[in-house]
This record gives sequence, C-alpha cells and structure tokens, in this order.
Amino acid sequence: MEKTTREQVLAALRGEGAYPVAIHDGAQSAPLHRADTNSLRSQVAAISVCQYATYELMEKTGAFWPQAHYEAAPMARLAAGGATVIGLGAVRVPYCQTVEAEIYGAKIKDGGRTHIPSIAEHPYKLGDTPEIPADFVKKGRIPAILEAIRILKREVGEKAVVMGSIVGPFSVAANLVGISALLKASLRKPDSILPYIEAATETAQQYAAAVIEAGADALVIEDMMASLDMISPRTYRALAAPYETRVIASVGKRIPVIIHICGKLDQVMTDIAATGADAISVESAVDIPAARQKFDEAGIRTPIIGAVHPIRALLEGTPEDVAAEVRKSAADGVALISPDCAVAPNTPLANLQAMVEAAGALQERR
Amino acid sequence: MSREEELHKGLSDAVVDMDEDLARELAQAVVDEGFDAYDAIEKGLSAGMEEVGRLYEEEEYFIPELLLCSDAMYAGIEILKPHIKKREDTVRHTVVIGVVEGDTHDIGKNLVKIMLESAGFDVIDLGRDIPAADFVRAAEEHQAEIIALATLMTTAMPAMREVLEVLEKEAKRGKFKVVVGGGPISPAFADKIGADVYAVNAAEAARLARELVSQGEAGK
Repeated sequence: MEKTTREQVLAALRGEGAYPVAIHDGAQSAPLHRADTNSLRSQVAAISVCQYATYELMEKTGAFWPQAHYEAAPMARLAAGGATVIGLGAVRVPYCQTVEAEIYGAKIKDGGRTHIPSIAEHPYKLGDTPEIPADFVKKGRIPAILEAIRILKREVGEKAVVMGSIVGPFSVAANLVGISALLKASLRKPDSILPYIEAATETAQQYAAAVIEAGADALVIEDMMASLDMISPRTYRALAAPYETRVIASVGKRIPVIIHICGKLDQVMTDIAATGADAISVESAVDIPAARQKFDEAGIRTPIIGAVHPIRALLEGTPEDVAAEVRKSAADGVALISPDCAVAPNTPLANLQAMVEAAGALQERR
Repeated sequence: MSREEELHKGLSDAVVDMDEDLARELAQAVVDEGFDAYDAIEKGLSAGMEEVGRLYEEEEYFIPELLLCSDAMYAGIEILKPHIKKREDTVRHTVVIGVVEGDTHDIGKNLVKIMLESAGFDVIDLGRDIPAADFVRAAEEHQAEIIALATLMTTAMPAMREVLEVLEKEAKRGKFKVVVGGGPISPAFADKIGADVYAVNAAEAARLARELVSQGEAGK
C-alpha cells in the first residue's frame, strides 16, 4: 500500500530500512544502488529540518514576517504552507533561533518583513550567574509556538509531520554570553561556561516537554554552534554532546528527535549518533558516504538527513540543479531529503517544489 | 641568533602558544632594550599569527585557539604601538569590513579582521548587521581599497548581494575590490553576485587581500 508522505517521514525517522535510490535517471543512479523492483516501496519524502519560509511562501499563504514570528495564527499558516504549497512531508515552527535567549533576557532586534529576529545584546557576561527563568515555557514566544503546533496538528497533521524546533544547550549558551567569550572559555576555563550550558539544558528539557505536550510529532534540536567550523572535536565531546544527550534522554523516545548541526562534522558523526538522536541532519560539507560507512562498521543505524545546498542549488540554481543534488544525496545514503540548513527567504518557490518532486521520483528500497 | 631575533622568535611563539602574559613581557623587553617596535610586530607577533593561520587551515587549531592567539597578539601590539616610529615611506592599505544586514554573528568577521590587521592592513570595522549603503559610504570616507563582507547565515545572503548592487547603481564598482566569505558562501555565489574574490577562511582572506592590493600597486 502507498504510504502517505507523513508516514514515509515517520518511517524514515524510525530508521525503518529505507535508503532512497534514483531509478528514473539511468545515467545518474549508481548501479550499486539499483534495486530489483520487488524491494521498491513507496516514494521518498522531502522535508526541511530548518526554517523554510520564503517571501513567495508568505505571499501564497498570506502570512508574513514579522507577525509570523510572534503570533500563533500567522505562524501556523506560514508553516503549513510548507506542506500545502511546497509539498514537504513535515512542517515546523519557529523560524529563528532566538526564542530561548529572549526569555533569558537577550535584547532582540526585530527583522521586519524580510529578516528573522536576531540577538542585539547578550544577557550575560561570563562570570555572571545565569538564572533559570521561572515558568520558562509560559514566557516569551513559547506560548505562541505551542499554539501554532496545535493549529498545525489540526490543519495539516494528517498529511505532514509536525515538528517543534528548539535550540541545543551549547548554542543557547553561546547566545547568552556571546560566541567569542564562550569559545575562548571553552579552551581556557571550561568550568566557567558550564552554568550556562547546564541552565540551557534544563530549559531545553522543559521546552521539549511542552512541545511534546502540544502534540508535535517530532522534535528538532538545532545546535548550530556545536559545529566543527567553530569548535574542536574534543570540545564537542566535552561541552556539547553530553548536554544534547541529556535533552534527548528527557524526551525518552516519546517522539523522534532530529538533531541538526551546521558545517563540518566528519570527525564527530559517530559521537552525534551516540547522543541517542533518532536522525542526524547535516550539511553537504559532511562526507555522507564516509559517515554511512563508519556507521555500518559500528552497527549504527541512525538515519542521516540532507543535503541539498540552500545557496548553490536552492537559491542560485535551477530546478535541474536541485534535482541533481537530491539524486546525489540519495546516492550518498540519506534517508530523507532536506536542505542543508535554513532556506534563504528569497529562494524561488519553484526550486523548493523541485526538491520535493525530485525526491518523489526516487524510490525507497528495503 | 641575536637578542632581537630571540625576542622576535619569543613573541611569535607566545602568540602560537596563546600566552598573553609572555607576549606582554617580551613586547616590554623590546621597548626597554630599544629595539624597533614595528619590526617586533611584523617579525614577531604577525609572524606568529601567520603560523596560527596555518595551524587553523590544517585543522590543528580551531576558532577558540585562534581567538586566544589573537588576544596574545593584541596584548603585545598594545605595548609596542606607541613606540612605532612613523614611516612616511610605507603605503597603508585600508579595508572596510562588516557583517551584512540581517546577521548579528560576527565571529567570522572578527577573525578576518584579526588576520588583516596582523597582515598590516588598516581595518575599519563597521560591526554587524550593517545596511548595504553604510559599507559604500564608509569605504569612500576612509578611502578604502577593499570592502570585506561576511555572513554566517543563509538567510542574510541576499543582503550581501545588495552591497554589490549599491556599488553598481552608484557607478562605484570599479573603485573597490570586494572580498566575501562566511559559512554559507561559495565561490560560485561570489561569482554570481560579482564579488572580486571569495575567501574560504580568515587566513586566506588576509592573503587574498594582500594580493589584491599588490595587483593594484603593480597596475599604477
């Protein structure tokens, strides 16, 4: 029986077998991956692990930034467009990575209609004692985000996976004291930044629980600063991974958790898998075939999600360029197609739709 | 090795070893013993930072190391700077640098600034989240030769193109070389928006900037 897109995504997140293969494009598909037709199942879904709102999507849905950052109804309407307009197998809120830091007291600069909110001022200086705000999930934009999740479940929950996205502890800590201060201290006085990472871990657990309570089907943890573009493998293992692990453990398999980290990760892919995440979302900077091979050797079954370049393909490329990257990602061994990272808001809608279409032209193989 | 060379080597090592105190101490020794401050910066601190850049490219050092090394470099510079004898003969090259509008992540920009300064450029740092027109205005005001643009976010990339568009629109594109870089930026994107060069990291940005100005000098 044909699975719905939603079921395809959930099955992929459960790690159920599927590696997509390209069967329609003789020249492109690796013979290695060519399956006999009996083992072919349904089509492969595309999602966007990170933000996917674009100016065109705002026009189509009639929901615009900045309102969609703050109010549940437009937030949900814009996010739902991911499923109804683009055809993604999952929708997500919010659109930025400043929600937690704002509640901790960071000054936020509004991005208006064209940009996402950003951090204007960090709330702490290294050495200050961070205070965990009481009733964290009732503060700031979290109530609107939780309400948007409930609306999305009602509106598109039948066809698409509804994802709530939170920021990983290391990255929240970076937003609390500033990335430079955090990075320097990570080398010299790692103890001095532990209180921030600990606090961010505690509030991430509360936030994750509220996202589950609101009915989300999956949790995304974006830990963008825990990248090897920023820190060494040793620092990742000491100051990022243990806390990601704690947040994921607190979810306790109630819903699947996708962890997303930007940039280079080759040296820590098995460490990321060891956090217990149900899937790992990576950029094309990662050597996915090498990671898959390492995983196979270690008996790790964690699916990898990716890796269509948001600039080279989606923003600047043609629909054909996008399709080529979808096929390459499939050949590399991803379980679900997704852009590498946040989609730029001026990305042509046609290219996002081309990503979904090209993913649909792949076939799932047991 | 002469005493002066010893001090240069010591300063370079202090930077590579992230030893701020030692950098300060040796810089003070350069001053007290009457050696040339400018040479101590160039052959000591900057040479050390160049080695740091190499270690970074080889993935021996990561950004935290780079930041601490630069702290050591600046600690030494702070002591040496007041003692630099003004040299009329050396041409100073100016770079205007900033993070484009919509992005407040300035770590990459700060690293490029460090490497440019250690390579001898005068750097006008506009900061982060900077509107396109401000880059052009600042570059004119400071008679810069190079505009360096950074962003870490895919969502802010349209703003990078805007700077090039403003230059074109005001018919000033020929006046400045434009260097772009940052996490999501690719050589193809740099080409597409009409930037002069793409730098993959901070060390390369400084190297390319040097090449750009020496081309300019050769062309004069």
